[in-house]
Amino acid sequence: MKLLEYEAKEMFVNHGIPVPDGVIITEAEEMALHLHKLGPEVVLKAQVDVGGRGKAGGILMAKSEEAIETAKQLFDATIKGVPVEKILVEERLPIEHEYYLSITIDRASKQYLILFAETGGVDIEQTASLRPDAVRKAVINPLLADVPPFLLRRLIGKAPKEIAPVINRLYHVVCEKDALLAEINPLVTTPGGVFAADAKLIIDDNALARQGIHVNRDQTEREREAERHGFSYVELAGSIGVIGNGAGLTMATLDLIEHYQGNAANFLDVGGGAGRERVTHAVRLVAGMPDVQVIVVNLLGGITRCDEVAEGIVEAGISQKVIVRLAGTNEEAGRKILREHGYMMLDTMEEAVRAAVEAVR
Amino acid sequence: MIFGSKDDGIIVQGATGTQGAFHLNLMNEYARTVGGKGVVAGVTPGKGGQEVHGVPIYDSAREALDAHDATTCVLFVPGKAAGDSIMEEAEAGIELVVAITEHIPVQDTMKAIAYARSFDCCVVGPNSPGILSPGEIKLGIMPAQLFSRGNVGVISRSGTLTYEVVDELTRAGIGQSTVVGIGGDPIIGETFVDVLRRFEEDPLTDAVVLIGEVGGNLEEEGAASTDLPIVAYIAGKSAPPEKRMGHAGAIVEGGEGDAASKIKRIEALGVPVASKPSEIPSLVRDLL
Repeated sequence: MKLLEYEAKEMFVNHGIPVPDGVIITEAEEMALHLHKLGPEVVLKAQVDVGGRGKAGGILMAKSEEAIETAKQLFDATIKGVPVEKILVEERLPIEHEYYLSITIDRASKQYLILFAETGGVDIEQTASLRPDAVRKAVINPLLADVPPFLLRRLIGKAPKEIAPVINRLYHVVCEKDALLAEINPLVTTPGGVFAADAKLIIDDNALARQGIHVNRDQTEREREAERHGFSYVELAGSIGVIGNGAGLTMATLDLIEHYQGNAANFLDVGGGAGRERVTHAVRLVAGMPDVQVIVVNLLGGITRCDEVAEGIVEAGISQKVIVRLAGTNEEAGRKILREHGYMMLDTMEEAVRAAVEAVR
Repeated sequence: MIFGSKDDGIIVQGATGTQGAFHLNLMNEYARTVGGKGVVAGVTPGKGGQEVHGVPIYDSAREALDAHDATTCVLFVPGKAAGDSIMEEAEAGIELVVAITEHIPVQDTMKAIAYARSFDCCVVGPNSPGILSPGEIKLGIMPAQLFSRGNVGVISRSGTLTYEVVDELTRAGIGQSTVVGIGGDPIIGETFVDVLRRFEEDPLTDAVVLIGEVGGNLEEEGAASTDLPIVAYIAGKSAPPEKRMGHAGAIVEGGEGDAASKIKRIEALGVPVASKPSEIPSLVRDLL
């Protein structure tokens, strides 16, 4: 789950990473109380989960006396369609230089990857292609509690030494908060020291419970409902509902729909042990999406009981057409149940997908 | 048989849970049909002294290994405890841990893999359906009835999609040497590169099917790392960016790891990429 900038900065501060003085406001007038603490110029940053926020008008500069008016403008705006509910108001720092710092997980080495660049404030990919010598990388064994000093020296090179403790503290944030990505872009030097001018933190969805996070904000309401039933669910824009067991098979079903020039409405992986009740829930959930005209159910597994799945589909009692591909035990019994209730059961996923694409034409 | 043979004893950690007990039984049925050693012991802390399908349960991996010969552990422990269990098995002397568990925090997986490596213990998974060498050994939850013995290896990040492909291969008369589910998580123990290296040294494997999906770039790295004849399939061509497609690792992030770029890079190596699973058998036949 992605954290908003101000939430990430709170965690940074708790781990000793300096951030600019700032306050979070939910309406423009609140700022009057705080402005005297923030100096003659302030930066107003919309707290929205949107990439390219600055270019989209989500970050505004203002002189102290104009700040309330600017905040009103920002609250009235939408940033790439997202309404602004909170604004982080910060002092404007006298920036000397901007750097880039991030820690991610590296699939290839199975360790944490630290990236430091001498140029910040821009996309790291851009720096990497224009000035590859300015980007330095180090992987760190996840069993280590600290980043070893030799790696810190290698990462910062000729950049100011006061950056080294920030790298180590960011590593502490990553470990303690179960982050999959921590990014400071830019990390800035000023006459008053080093500051994290921006902050990005993505928490591992599989660690939300132990991090005390009970609602995953990245999900829609229907996605959360699906998760409560143990499904993986993603909403798409088409008209063919898709239910499969296993992420790979369900993705392959979506791809086949595209292959035959159809459009999937969703991705729903019922997971292991597709029993009667789970199938009923899944079918009803997908049928509840307004654009779904037909549903493909593609279930394969040695231990999936086809008769139970068939009963689950019938039980759902939905109005849309359901096309079923089932392979497992008791296939014949399942086929009989489906046939008796007027549902189509086909032998291969390709036949099922083609029938579904045909049905919405 | 690149991850063990019928002579390898198996420990099931998490054997007293519903899934663990069910699949322990299926693994042992398979071992009986091929004359293998099968599951010799189970481990669940606090449940020592019980039996599951006739297999004795111990409180710890050490106690299990003191009483039985085993090289391999299949893990069904819930996500929040699984990292600890992997480390326990490695420390006790297990050589291969196959982690079926899904939803392990990534940090726990990374630590467990690093720790296991220091004991020369190899980890497959997590979020893996297991490994099956037809006629030899079944480790995990793969449905054995779809498999047939042959000379084609399969490496996959997926479970049911692997069964789909294996079923297609078997129906086309193409048997499998070993089928490895490396797991759907972003951080996994054995990657495509590691398993391909094992297949290269395996006299029973002449070609390999590589089943990948969106997220990361380990498929491309794998395809570039080997001289073995391979056929690839990549799932998730229609996956939208920044959305996790069921597997924790199946996500197109920051414009990277999408299916189209993977397919392009793999095809650039001269490796055929199937546009749908049903094309795989004929592409494999062209290689053999």
